[in-house]
Amino acid sequence: MDERIGDYPDLDQLGAEVSVELFPESFTVRWDLCGATADFFASYFSQMPSCGADDDATQAEVENAISYVLNEAVENAVKFQAGGTITVKVGMYEDSLVFVVSNWILGTAADVLRPRLHELVEGDAHELLLARVEANAANPEAGVSGLGFLTMITDYDARLGWRILAPDGAGDRVHFHTMARLPIFRT
Amino acid sequence: MEVRDSTYRVWFDESSSTVFFEGSLRLGTADYRPISALLDAVLAKNLPVLTLHMLELNFLNSSGINTLYKFAISLRKQGSTLVTVRGTTVIAWQTKSLANLKKFLPTITIEMLGEE
Repeated sequence: MDERIGDYPDLDQLGAEVSVELFPESFTVRWDLCGATADFFASYFSQMPSCGADDDATQAEVENAISYVLNEAVENAVKFQAGGTITVKVGMYEDSLVFVVSNWILGTAADVLRPRLHELVEGDAHELLLARVEANAANPEAGVSGLGFLTMITDYDARLGWRILAPDGAGDRVHFHTMARLPIFRT
Repeated sequence: MEVRDSTYRVWFDESSSTVFFEGSLRLGTADYRPISALLDAVLAKNLPVLTLHMLELNFLNSSGINTLYKFAISLRKQGSTLVTVRGTTVIAWQTKSLANLKKFLPTITIEMLGEE
């Protein structure tokens, strides 16, 4: 299986990138390390001249956007990981800063996620956000908020895509890649 | 009433009828329950006015945004409290996410302080 959902361009075109690989089975990834990982990349890239702010944005806004979007993506990876490594890559593609967070999840988890990802791609994110929060308010015991990907789109104009791979020998797991693109790269 | 750990502090000040949020809130969904409980206790007071003071809240992840928006819905359903949220444009997430509170609680007043 090699499935793509949403906006997921070919990774071969990413070129230079900065990456971090986490090994949760050997070295526990504490929850607060999600934010620390995101902040590392946010600090790194927001201070690069080519990644700096748009005319309407400040460097602090760029740093916040990177930090928010990447933190959400890494939190998801830690939350749903089913062994193996978690890889975070940040690079540039066309006019965007690109984040790719990859981790292994159970195939059954992918089956639950798949219709929601299609909904995100095909629906109106602002309407989905309203509906999701109202649903969460009606179900206080919901274990996940489901707002991570939605707020990346509604609040940060992120373009999202996912790639799900099931290589030979992976058993009941699939390799799950989340790509987020932020339109902040200026040439 | 107060909930805190090493990275954040949330507390209710009765004298000013204000919930203060301070620090960085990047908890897992279940870890927001103590904060939700504090907000529910504030809701139960049926206050005539309430201020949500966000000026020192540097980060809020999506689970925290969910907690905040759900509180806005609870206040809308209660219908008796005039709510003001006080934020700042200096902290970028607040400019992005606080405006949505109006969608869940149309009567809320959003005061955004700028960089002066």
